[in-house]
Amino acid sequence: MILRLTSRVLILGMMWLGLNLLKWDGAMGPLFWQALIFTVIVLVGSLMEQIFHYQGDPFILPVVQAIMALGLVFVVRINPGVALHQFWWANLGMLMFYVVLWAIRDYRSFGRFRYIWGLLAVTLLLVTLLVGSEVGGATSSLKFLGFGFQPEEFVKLTLLLFMATYLEENEELLRIGTVQLGRFSLPDWRTLGPFIIMVAFVLGILAAQKSLGTALVFYLLFVLMLYVVTERTLYLGISLPIFFLTGTVGYLLFRHVRVRVAVWMDPWQDPTGMGYQIAQSLFAIGGGNILGTGLGNGIGASTVPVAISDFIFSVIAEELGFAGAMAVLMLFLIVVMRAFAVSLKAKDRFGQILAAGIGILLGTETLIILAGVTKLLPLTGLPLPWVSYGGSSLIVHFILLGVLLNISNATAVSSHSTKNKGREYAT
Amino acid sequence: MRGIRQVALGMAFSFFVLSLGLVYWQVVKADTLLNNPANRRMILMENRVTRGGIFDRNGEVIAKTQLLNGKKVRVYSNGEMYEPALGYSTVKLGASGLEGSLADWMLGLKKANPTQSVQQLFALPRTGDDVVLTLDSRLQRLAYNALKGKMGAVVAIDPRTGEVLALVSQPSFDPTDLDQNWNEIVNREIERPLEQRYASLYPPGSTMKVVTSAAVLRSGVNTTDLYECRGSTIINGQVIREQNDKAHGWVNYNMALAESCNTYFATFGVQAGSEKFLSAVKGFGFGQPIPFELNVPTSSVTKAAKIPTTLNTNLLAASTFGQGEILVTPFHMALITAGIANQGVIMAPHLVDRVLDPSQNVIFEQKPKPWLTALSKTEAEQITSAMVTAVTDGTAAPGALSNVQVAGKTGSAEPGGDVPTHAWYIAFAPAEKPRIAIAVMVENGGTGGGTAAPIARQIIQEALIRK
Repeated sequence: MILRLTSRVLILGMMWLGLNLLKWDGAMGPLFWQALIFTVIVLVGSLMEQIFHYQGDPFILPVVQAIMALGLVFVVRINPGVALHQFWWANLGMLMFYVVLWAIRDYRSFGRFRYIWGLLAVTLLLVTLLVGSEVGGATSSLKFLGFGFQPEEFVKLTLLLFMATYLEENEELLRIGTVQLGRFSLPDWRTLGPFIIMVAFVLGILAAQKSLGTALVFYLLFVLMLYVVTERTLYLGISLPIFFLTGTVGYLLFRHVRVRVAVWMDPWQDPTGMGYQIAQSLFAIGGGNILGTGLGNGIGASTVPVAISDFIFSVIAEELGFAGAMAVLMLFLIVVMRAFAVSLKAKDRFGQILAAGIGILLGTETLIILAGVTKLLPLTGLPLPWVSYGGSSLIVHFILLGVLLNISNATAVSSHSTKNKGREYAT
Repeated sequence: MRGIRQVALGMAFSFFVLSLGLVYWQVVKADTLLNNPANRRMILMENRVTRGGIFDRNGEVIAKTQLLNGKKVRVYSNGEMYEPALGYSTVKLGASGLEGSLADWMLGLKKANPTQSVQQLFALPRTGDDVVLTLDSRLQRLAYNALKGKMGAVVAIDPRTGEVLALVSQPSFDPTDLDQNWNEIVNREIERPLEQRYASLYPPGSTMKVVTSAAVLRSGVNTTDLYECRGSTIINGQVIREQNDKAHGWVNYNMALAESCNTYFATFGVQAGSEKFLSAVKGFGFGQPIPFELNVPTSSVTKAAKIPTTLNTNLLAASTFGQGEILVTPFHMALITAGIANQGVIMAPHLVDRVLDPSQNVIFEQKPKPWLTALSKTEAEQITSAMVTAVTDGTAAPGALSNVQVAGKTGSAEPGGDVPTHAWYIAFAPAEKPRIAIAVMVENGGTGGGTAAPIARQIIQEALIRK
């Protein structure tokens, strides 16, 4: 109890310190109240864990809240004007997290919908493709009641549920295979068909929307989840040539792919034109040195394009330096690793697969965008979970977190109750 | 469960690679990124840091940042006479000149020693360092005023240390309120005030003969050998003429340099051969970038190559007296002069004398270091002696001073076309123990003796009086 509260107080203290350092002049009033609401939700939430006897993973939530607090501070730092929205979404997301954590009795009920999830994912993507508006070169935003919302974020959730259901159901067939093809035994078409159609559909639509980052995340999600469940290197082996083949075809067919690769290879060729984004990102990161320029002292916030979403890490790396950037990396690594730990402990297969999928999703998202802004990979726009500005991403990730901790809690409670089984009679 | 563990391991490893990427950009490559010309960090940092001042060697303010009505303003009290070397730095126009190249000092970002770098980790500097230049405002002002109304350059160097004492280009511009005046300055197409004439390439004319001398002397020509100048000569079918076709009669080496006899240098230069000529020219720094705080273009021998492997006889003959395709900057010409003055050793030129932190402790001090050894001591003495004759009995007489022995050489370079010659003059003084070496160039100014030498004379006089 004491530990639980102190960690929260520390996290909130850092947030308030950061916000005060920024001297949020103009937008002070409403921001102050939203920050206060955030504080209350975090504290009441941790009390609720005590009251409802939360027994799941004790590290994940505080770490995510630390990431969230850091993200809020940096969103205020980069653009105080829109930070209010981010606070709304954060508060709403936290509430939804607790709803998912406490209100869903049995996460296995998600499995009942099976292909409905897949259908929902495809529909969401199709609608975006048809009526979506273009933002930053990708047709991935949908206007709804005056809010721009990103269906592909919600697709992450539905697709994950579809994958988990499908993989649990067909695990044995996928693992052993029924059709012999030379030395390899493959599953038959009836098993593999829905999966392949789904993959092709989702990735195809994303490619058509030019959301290359999301497509890459989903591809890795499909491949790694398949591998985690079947433990067959064959699937990894097949995925590599497919990836390179699709990559090459995309490179040859589409100009925007070629431009991205060229910019990645040598952004200095044209640092004021096509290479502007990545050059500015690297200038900001490089300017941070070891301990950074200090919060609010960097220049990246004003020079790096879309600093508030895709490139928010560049600003963090500049103002908090290598030390701060490493701390952020470690926080994400902890969340991802703990998600896998939840998966390993889970009692039923569906929970294992779902938790592993959440870990894979968070890990690949973080790695791809961070590798992009540090020029380890070609840049593909993706929000950094819980840090980048954007309501859809925030809410989806809080729901995912809720599912993850629900699994974790259920595991602990069920093991607890089986242990007590004998005693029930004694009392 | 094996699958999950492997994927988890793979993720952890990828995070590790990512952290190596951070090390690469934030530690290994940080300085390279900072120096990238597309990086506007320096200029944007200005908003937070009070830029340090620039001072001349006597402590006179050249540039400083003042608070005017709560706004930081860069004040240049005599900006025009230091431009374009001084340069500018504005958010709109970017940075150039010393304001650009010294920005890391003046914004307090350059790490001079470990203690400072540790300090910078904890507190961003709020006041930059002050830079003291080697320039002498008295000489700068004199040179600037002497060139007024002309287009040209003056470069004065202390030959013993390589300290640049004056660096003038006329016409110039006033860096105050540059953002507003920029269009007007750029549109002065005839005057071209942004052009750094001390760092522009011109044919050197007869001043080149001091360089050719090295090849001639090394080929075994005795300084007492006599040669009969008839006003013109034919080498390999090419007619070499004297200026105004004047026959100088029987001349030895000293008299030939003093009278600026083209046929003498063409004849003996060709006799020495292209190999000796090119090695002498290379020894003086042609074809090599000059190590200096400002960018100075490399002097070149032919259009095709800065230093060709060989020269044909006709081009060699023209090159010996600074025509042909030879191009030199006035700045380099001053360095050549300084090399002769300093017994053949050219000291590396520099403009920054020392850097002071906001509490006026010296955090950087320039130490003189040699750049090139162009001549042996004997060769330097022989050329000096001929340059002294040029001032006492030759074309450089207008550069003479009554109380000090000056060594000099004039040049009137033909830029091609029907325009007046570029007036060149190089000199150093006192000839026996030189303290100043100077190069003056006036575009289309006529003869070196008539236009350039009197300007150098005033500057040398002023430089030697006070010290």
